Amino acid sequence: MAVAQTKQEKESEDCSLLPLVHDIIKCIDKDSQDIHQELAKLRTKIQEAREQISNMPGIDTSPEEQQQQLASLRDQVRTKNQLLQKYKSLCMFEVPKAS
Amino acid sequence: MLALSRSQKLPQAGEDTQILELLVQRDQELQELMEVGREQGRVQEEMLLLEKEVEKRDSDIQQLQKQLKEAEHILATAVYQAKEKLKSIDKAKKGSISSEELIKYAHRISASNAVCAPLNWLPGDPRRPYPTDMEMRSGLLGHMANLPTNGVNGHLPGDALAAGRLPDVLTPQYPWQSSDVSVGMLPPHHGNDFGLEPPGHNKENEDEVEAMSTDSSSSSSDSD
Repeated sequence: MAVAQTKQEKESEDCSLLPLVHDIIKCIDKDSQDIHQELAKLRTKIQEAREQISNMPGIDTSPEEQQQQLASLRDQVRTKNQLLQKYKSLCMFEVPKAS
Repeated sequence: MLALSRSQKLPQAGEDTQILELLVQRDQELQELMEVGREQGRVQEEMLLLEKEVEKRDSDIQQLQKQLKEAEHILATAVYQAKEKLKSIDKAKKGSISSEELIKYAHRISASNAVCAPLNWLPGDPRRPYPTDMEMRSGLLGHMANLPTNGVNGHLPGDALAAGRLPDVLTPQYPWQSSDVSVGMLPPHHGNDFGLEPPGHNKENEDEVEAMSTDSSSSSSDSD
């Protein structure tokens, strides 16, 4: 649980653009020559974020629709399991009692 | 912000703060949306697993369907054949014949050796599964017609005996023959009558034989 939380925080920090913006502002204040590098870094970061978003699966539908689809699939699996169980345990042959 | 920083020597504090707040807010929103996206990715993976499960269940159901269809076909065939057999049984019961009668009839058919050769039959035995010439002549029809018996059939011993020839013809020539073959070969009640022909008919018989002999289509064998 702690490991998952740490991983989540790291991912959040990766997405954040604030540190880069902060570095840019510092360079401006110092009138440093590295400002162009910092700007390039920001552009690269934004580009990476765009690529990461485009590769994310499942974001073509809204979260609500996705949850509906998930529920529907779970329902299908349950129904089909029940059907298979019913057919396998079904005894179709009723031996008539000798009269 | 860059423009503000370069162009304005005395930045307006309020504007800077506003911009920074906006920046932080946007960053926060970005973080949240990225988190939602990741969650949707996890849900999408779960959905893929569930879809695979559904496909597997579908193939299981199709397999079961095929097997049930096959079983139904087999059972339908078996039931149909059973019904046909029951009909045959009912039909046989309606036209039933007693086993005693069947056995009696079978015995009658097989008694004349018509279905199987006698146990002691060997090649050369004149006995046949059908009435032979000799037997026909010794029967009622033969006596009525009183036909001559010279060389009509191919059984030499029979011909010789029919013509009332030498007794040496009767000597055993085949393993199945015994010394009293004259009695065994012919029906007992006709065995002695064969050589005895009314004297008065001899000439007539010879004439008939001559007439028959002149027929080129006759297939008689030489008689002794």
